[in-house]
Amino acid sequence: MSAADSASSSKPSQNSLKLDEKTSEQKPQQSQLSGLEDDDEFEEFAVQDWDDSQTDLAHLGGAAPGAAKSGGDRLWEDNWDDDDVEDPFSAQLRAELVKTGQGTTGVGPNVAGEPMQV
Amino acid sequence: MVVRLADYLVMLAEAIGDRQGPHLAYLLRPTSSHAKDLIKEFRNPSKESLAGYEGYIESPWDEIAISYVLVINSVARNDPVHAFKEQSQLVHAFHRFFTTDTGWTLPALFAICRDLRDIAHDADVSTQKTDCMEEAARILSKLFTSCVTDRTSPVAESRKWGVYYVVGLIMKCYFRVKRIALSRSILRALEANPDIPPLSSYPRAHQVTHRYYIGAINFLNEDFEKAEQELTLAFYNCHVEAQANRQRILAYLIPLRILRGHLPSQELLDRFPDLKEVYGPFVEAIRKADIKAYDVALYEWEKKLLELNVWLVFERARELVMRGLFRRVWVLSEKGTRIPIHMFHCALRVVGMRLDVEEVECFVANMIYKGLIKGYISHERQMVVLAQNGAFPRVADRKNPYVV
Repeated sequence: MSAADSASSSKPSQNSLKLDEKTSEQKPQQSQLSGLEDDDEFEEFAVQDWDDSQTDLAHLGGAAPGAAKSGGDRLWEDNWDDDDVEDPFSAQLRAELVKTGQGTTGVGPNVAGEPMQV
Repeated sequence: MVVRLADYLVMLAEAIGDRQGPHLAYLLRPTSSHAKDLIKEFRNPSKESLAGYEGYIESPWDEIAISYVLVINSVARNDPVHAFKEQSQLVHAFHRFFTTDTGWTLPALFAICRDLRDIAHDADVSTQKTDCMEEAARILSKLFTSCVTDRTSPVAESRKWGVYYVVGLIMKCYFRVKRIALSRSILRALEANPDIPPLSSYPRAHQVTHRYYIGAINFLNEDFEKAEQELTLAFYNCHVEAQANRQRILAYLIPLRILRGHLPSQELLDRFPDLKEVYGPFVEAIRKADIKAYDVALYEWEKKLLELNVWLVFERARELVMRGLFRRVWVLSEKGTRIPIHMFHCALRVVGMRLDVEEVECFVANMIYKGLIKGYISHERQMVVLAQNGAFPRVADRKNPYVV
């Protein structure tokens, strides 16, 4: 039995020793529900060294890695608050808050002292 | 040309004479083209039947060549347990030479160590045990020591340049058998040897692998700050085409960065569909301050999050959604500085959470403590008094994002 026969019949997993490099290319890399597994191992890199242009450092244009959009790194978003309250949920929330607010001491100015100064 | 063992021995001797590290690595790999010829040359070879080749070339290379033939035959016969025994012999013999010379053989060392671990993996899969992987880690630890203790070679040719590659393989062994605590002694040894060149001077493959494992270990020990630093460096230094490795890094990094207030952008998630599928719903829920959607995602992905060891982080990040809801109450109250606690209570009721008002007060107090809300609580008046400016600071602006 040749090495290639044994490798293709045993269908080695990604981390096992591959006698025939071609077999590894036949494995479909599909996105599926189980695509993210806890025992996926960190794989051997195909090359040992590379420069910045082959990393995500290249897209930063000098920004610090992970600085978020406000810091020039478009892969992360650190400001997602908005004041838009026109959606249905906000309308429902507003109605409930108005109901709750009626007849309580919680509305009107200066009930609990001065606002905190910062 | 058919390569016979006699030819192979000559090829080995030449590679060693010319100090051709990469070629030596090629000769010792079971995947190389000459392996097929050598498998055909011998039917059921054994150490005894090949003993005639001993002394053919300088020791230990004759022994290494014989072990090599036995390894490739065992692999071809689908006998990984036996292959592991032979590969261990090969590595032991190689080790004897390795310690006597400079690091010129490192490419070959990397190749045989990688194969040792891969064969151990196959052997353990076939026996449903972890013995071979544990033995591989022990053998690799000895090689690690021989790399670290090179005091004679010139810097450029030092065996020290093998340190991080071998450490990466050892970590991989420990993670596979889920005995991560064992990595501590190796990490201590790294710290105890300040004359190892800085990590940044090693090839990027070694750097990224090392940072990934350090990040993962710190993540599992809940030292989130250190974990985030290492994983960030691992991600940004990783080769863009190493998609699977980048995904592994992000599987830990994205939850950590969410917790500190940096959501993965659409662009980032689009690049990693598998991650988007699991983490996307949480990101979306935080953006929209939608607690219901967040809780549905927690329920739906619970098993997967537990498998990935990130459930705890998403459980903690839930307070970001709560913050979003409270902020919306504040926006609907014309961003006033005084909001009665029962308003927040009401908002939680609207999203279907039945809580006592005391619990709501407790939530608010916690958020103030964690820097998510700026203000104080007037308990007697049941009133939250908010700062005039920046009552709801950006989540990312907190000084201690990982405080529990």
